[in-house]
Amino acid sequence: MVKKEVVIPVPAADNAPMEEDKPLKKPPKELKDAPIQDELSEEDQELKSQLEMLVERLKESDTKLYSPSLETMKTLILTSTSSMTSVPKPLKFLRPLYSDMETVHDSWPDSTDKKFLADILSILAMTYDNEKLDTLKYRQIGSGNAIGSWGHEYVKHLTTEIGLEYSKRQEKDENSDDLVALALEVAPFFLSHNAEADAVDLLLQLDNIPKLVDFVDINAYKRVCLYLTSCVNYLESPDDQICLRAAHDIYLKHNKYAEATLVAIRMNDKEMVQSIFDGCEDPLLKKQLAFMLGRQQITVETEDEELQDCLNNTHLTTNFLQLARELDLMEPKTPEDIYKTHLEHKRSTGVQPDSARQNLASTFVNAFVNAGFCADKLMLTDDPEVTWIYKNKEHGMLSASASLGMLMLWDVEMGLAQIDRFLWSQDDNIRAGALLALGIVNSGVRNSSDPALAVLSENLDDSKTVLTRVAAIQGLGLAYAGSAREELSELLLPIVSNPDLTMELASFAALSLGMVFVGTCDGDISSTILQTMLERTDGQLSETFGRFMALGLALLHVGVRDQCEVTLETLRAIEHPIGKRAAVLVEICAYAGSGDVLRVQRMLHFCNDHIDTSSKDGSSEDDEFQAYAVLGIALIALGEDIGSEMALRSFTHLMHYGEPVIRRVVPLAIGLLCASNPVLTVLDTLGKYSHDNDVEVAVNAIFAMGMIGAGTNNARIAQMLRHLASYYHKDANCLFIVRIAQGLLHMGKGTLTINPLNSDRQILSPVAVAGLLTTVMAFTDVKTLVLGRHHSLLYSLVTAMYPRFLITLNEKLEPEPVAVRVGQAVDVVGQAGRPKTITGFQTHSTPVLLAYSERAELSTEEYLAQTPVLEGFVLLKKNPDYVEESKV
Amino acid sequence: MGNTQSGPPHPGKDQKKDEKDQKKKWEPPLPTRVGKKKIKKGPDASSKLPAVFPTTRCRLKMLKMERIKDYLLMEEEFVTNQERLKPQEEKAQEERSKVDELRGSPMTVGSLEEIIDDDHAIVSMSSGPEYYVSILSFVDKDLLEPGCTVLLHHKTMSIIGVLQDDTDPMVSVMKLEKAPTESYADIGGLEQQIQEIKEAVELPLTHPELYEDMGVKPPKGVILYGVPGTGKTLLAKAVANQTSATFLRVVGSELIQKYLGDGPKLVRELFRVAEENAPSIVFIDEIDAVGTKRYDSNSGGEREIQRTMLELLNQLDGFDSRGDVKVIMATNQIESLDPALIRPGRIDRKIEFPMPDIKTKRRIFNIHTSRMQLADDVDLEEFVMAKDELSGADIKAICTEAGLLALRERRMKVKADDFKKAKEKVLYRKNEGTPEGLYL
Repeated sequence: MVKKEVVIPVPAADNAPMEEDKPLKKPPKELKDAPIQDELSEEDQELKSQLEMLVERLKESDTKLYSPSLETMKTLILTSTSSMTSVPKPLKFLRPLYSDMETVHDSWPDSTDKKFLADILSILAMTYDNEKLDTLKYRQIGSGNAIGSWGHEYVKHLTTEIGLEYSKRQEKDENSDDLVALALEVAPFFLSHNAEADAVDLLLQLDNIPKLVDFVDINAYKRVCLYLTSCVNYLESPDDQICLRAAHDIYLKHNKYAEATLVAIRMNDKEMVQSIFDGCEDPLLKKQLAFMLGRQQITVETEDEELQDCLNNTHLTTNFLQLARELDLMEPKTPEDIYKTHLEHKRSTGVQPDSARQNLASTFVNAFVNAGFCADKLMLTDDPEVTWIYKNKEHGMLSASASLGMLMLWDVEMGLAQIDRFLWSQDDNIRAGALLALGIVNSGVRNSSDPALAVLSENLDDSKTVLTRVAAIQGLGLAYAGSAREELSELLLPIVSNPDLTMELASFAALSLGMVFVGTCDGDISSTILQTMLERTDGQLSETFGRFMALGLALLHVGVRDQCEVTLETLRAIEHPIGKRAAVLVEICAYAGSGDVLRVQRMLHFCNDHIDTSSKDGSSEDDEFQAYAVLGIALIALGEDIGSEMALRSFTHLMHYGEPVIRRVVPLAIGLLCASNPVLTVLDTLGKYSHDNDVEVAVNAIFAMGMIGAGTNNARIAQMLRHLASYYHKDANCLFIVRIAQGLLHMGKGTLTINPLNSDRQILSPVAVAGLLTTVMAFTDVKTLVLGRHHSLLYSLVTAMYPRFLITLNEKLEPEPVAVRVGQAVDVVGQAGRPKTITGFQTHSTPVLLAYSERAELSTEEYLAQTPVLEGFVLLKKNPDYVEESKV
Repeated sequence: MGNTQSGPPHPGKDQKKDEKDQKKKWEPPLPTRVGKKKIKKGPDASSKLPAVFPTTRCRLKMLKMERIKDYLLMEEEFVTNQERLKPQEEKAQEERSKVDELRGSPMTVGSLEEIIDDDHAIVSMSSGPEYYVSILSFVDKDLLEPGCTVLLHHKTMSIIGVLQDDTDPMVSVMKLEKAPTESYADIGGLEQQIQEIKEAVELPLTHPELYEDMGVKPPKGVILYGVPGTGKTLLAKAVANQTSATFLRVVGSELIQKYLGDGPKLVRELFRVAEENAPSIVFIDEIDAVGTKRYDSNSGGEREIQRTMLELLNQLDGFDSRGDVKVIMATNQIESLDPALIRPGRIDRKIEFPMPDIKTKRRIFNIHTSRMQLADDVDLEEFVMAKDELSGADIKAICTEAGLLALRERRMKVKADDFKKAKEKVLYRKNEGTPEGLYL
């Protein structure tokens, strides 16, 4: 800044017109409270009189003088140095003359001079903080010179006034095209001056976001899109969709297919995804898109077999094993390696809990810990009899043989070979378990020959036992979650609607349908489930399985927002409490991950009442919907940082004031909110709840600890769980859950995650939500389900499980180790310059593991990544411009 | 790799085998989290609100803030509803009495020696013996740190509470409770100095987003220097008068303490208090008392003073980042200060206070005489235009002296004659051959 004037007045005194600088002959006689008057320096005085003279000239009738005097005024204003702390001088001196100038302006006939004067009035009006919005008024009747000619501050002021005027006119329903036109002039100015946020804000306020697409150039599009997409979470419908669409259009305009695909996935728009996929020419990029879509379990049509493989996640198992070899994790782990009982405090050996329970726990731990590794020490041994299965009792055997599916996860061919021998077992439980295993193996991967569908569909008919049929139904649900295949609705719908079948079968069929058609809002299925709810007797609906029927219905509506209204309306007709429960479930699923505050408020209202269920006269109301409402708060807040943190605060209130039914679910909701994201404060809270007087609260808190630590190997949780193991060593049920939590904690030996958010925590995977929600639902009635016969529901987590790796592949889809920096992600939206996106990073060579809040970036420019988000599979291309540093 | 995989895989163990044969791998216990007193910033962690990014002024920030507000409103609604439906007071009362019961009485006071793990510690009693005791779960572990005073159960000696000592009373004295009456309007001239200090000290506290927008870090501190009587302290007073931030003021000589280590400790405390009460402004007058250039010295006292300065250096720009703490220093002798103290990064702006020029002198006269009863024959212009080297303080002295002379003669008005005499007196004393800068 050129310092033109040495003395700059400080507006601290006041902005009142100043007295002239007269000699101090007669100081004011009024003593106290006499205002201290500021004097002006000589230059100021000169400037002031010059300006006054100019205004005088405008008042005169000599029109010839107008133009030059206006010109001088303009130069004076433009050349004045402004400071952050004070108003530029000429503006200050012209302020008292403003009203004079206004009258002058009104009296003039239309001419270029008049416009010129309007320009000057426009900038002068800035110093007036009145309601008249004069800056805007005079800008519009002014000469329309370049918007930036008066400087940045003026443009900002103008923007504010445009916004105010627009909202005023909106109220009165007036036309505001002129404002929009002006805004369209302002926006490019902002964009070219590093003020993307202001540009977006302005257009957002004027509901004109789509116009942005034309203005954004190659330098600004990244920041604009980042800002747009970060705003989405906080905007109301339909603004959020408009913003996303604009971001999508901007990305496509700059040929950023990968980014555009992510936005399209976020919009839940299949057609858009397909069109982007078809529009992409680059074969390498197309493969990358296929990988990204495969991660979201989205199918697009393509002829290319290689692409189909990427879409079907066929590479998942080989690459996962490759990662395991790189990290030296191939050695299978036994449950004892996880429990580390030698570190537990030894108490006096009291009652030994029953060993079947212990063995069942070990089965689960073994399954979770060695998930996907295709090797373990209990099930896949050389022993042809597989004695471990027989160490479990009855339904325990089901879970034991189903654990095979977990161990062979994603490896369809090898998995089939292993499972096959149990399919022909004499024992009903083992056979059922094998069917479930078949479903689990196929979870998340697709195979053209559809072995799961072929085998499982044979086991659905009446000739089989209920046990086998339930397992087959569950298996189908897990295997085809999110695929929305018509064959399955044909297979399963009759089971739902058949009134002769037990509630158990019908409910699980509904649940599986919900998983397969998650988020599709399929009309046939929802009407069938609703019909069944209407037809079934009250007694049947009150069975504990009823919740899964409701959940199945709800899952159909995951993420559909207001499309769920029809179903909600129908549910009101059901008198049985299941109607209300299902309504809450449908609502929370529909708004999952939306962060909608109004819905959260509704859920809190549900939790307000203290319902007395213990009254003896039989008129007791149902309070279970409150439990779902609590889950709903977590589910709705998911995916948006501020909402999640604030939701955690709400949970402490719920825990404090709530009835038992609410208190029992709060830990689960916390687990859902922070899945695979061990935050210390949350951990402390759960640690407290795990010693609660109410056993169910404690059990759920322990399981929630497993959930928030799932796949992280977090040492603190491990220590807490060991402590709990010795604390609950007499309580078989609690111990069972502690063991399972330990298994979850070391899930995949610390390589997996169950967090439903991926791609930089932007995209909520509906399939993962379905899996998590099903598991959590099983814990809302923990005594009969998880601690009873239906512990196999724990395997529902499989749909949410995915390696938290970053694998870099070259053009031939072979692993290509490169150096990457891994560090804590930083929110860089709206920051000036080119801020770092990660902090506290370390450099590793791929493949690497990424924790919940971590982000990776390539450390050299030797390769170019095809996707902006370094997560999962990333394809690399050699950078043609790369020069090795040593050669420079 | 995040180091999150478990250690090298264990050799597989067959469960059937006698497990005692195998030597179990020892795992080191996790470091405890207690005992490291957290530097408190704002409210408790439990009631803390999420941080909002970006910090620049934009709609996204507003939306996020609104989201937080919405949630808070919901919380409020829920809690009031619940309090209405099911008052918790009784329950809280019950719980409180339960805790009191657990605490037992009488209680004893001990000091925490060492923390062993999350729930055990070694305490020592004032009488001498040390005990290994457990920490009860309701004790706020964030407050525990070695050396703090704790409440002990009279029988089991377990820790049942923490006694928090407040900040050093010395520091709390420095906090300015009553703002001085001098405002910017009382300063004649010095416009540029005022502007600089505003930009460097006030603006970063009130409008941090301006700096964020530009992508620069606001200055951390300023030093005011110039010959005596030019208004350095006056300007600092005006800043204190104007700002709503916490204003801590110290004189350099206060930092020199009798005992070794007390001076640096005071500096540390000072900045800690400043940070706790952030946003705040620390004003250190006469910094040359501690901030002189370092030199080899055999005197323990001087070395201690130098150490105090080193601590000051560290606090100004050390490892721990100071948040919204701005530092203003004032000195007559900037050239004698240690260069490390005034390097950019510690003190980013050096503001010189020159002798007043004619215009400024006029203003200063005006300020000081505006409340005096002046006779009609007084022509201040005469004094303003005089070529004598008058500082702001000299002018004030002349005015006061003139007033006193008038008073002596029991006149109700100050005459021109009084001013002349007063000026002579002041100038005579000033140039009396006394060492420069010494006032008698």
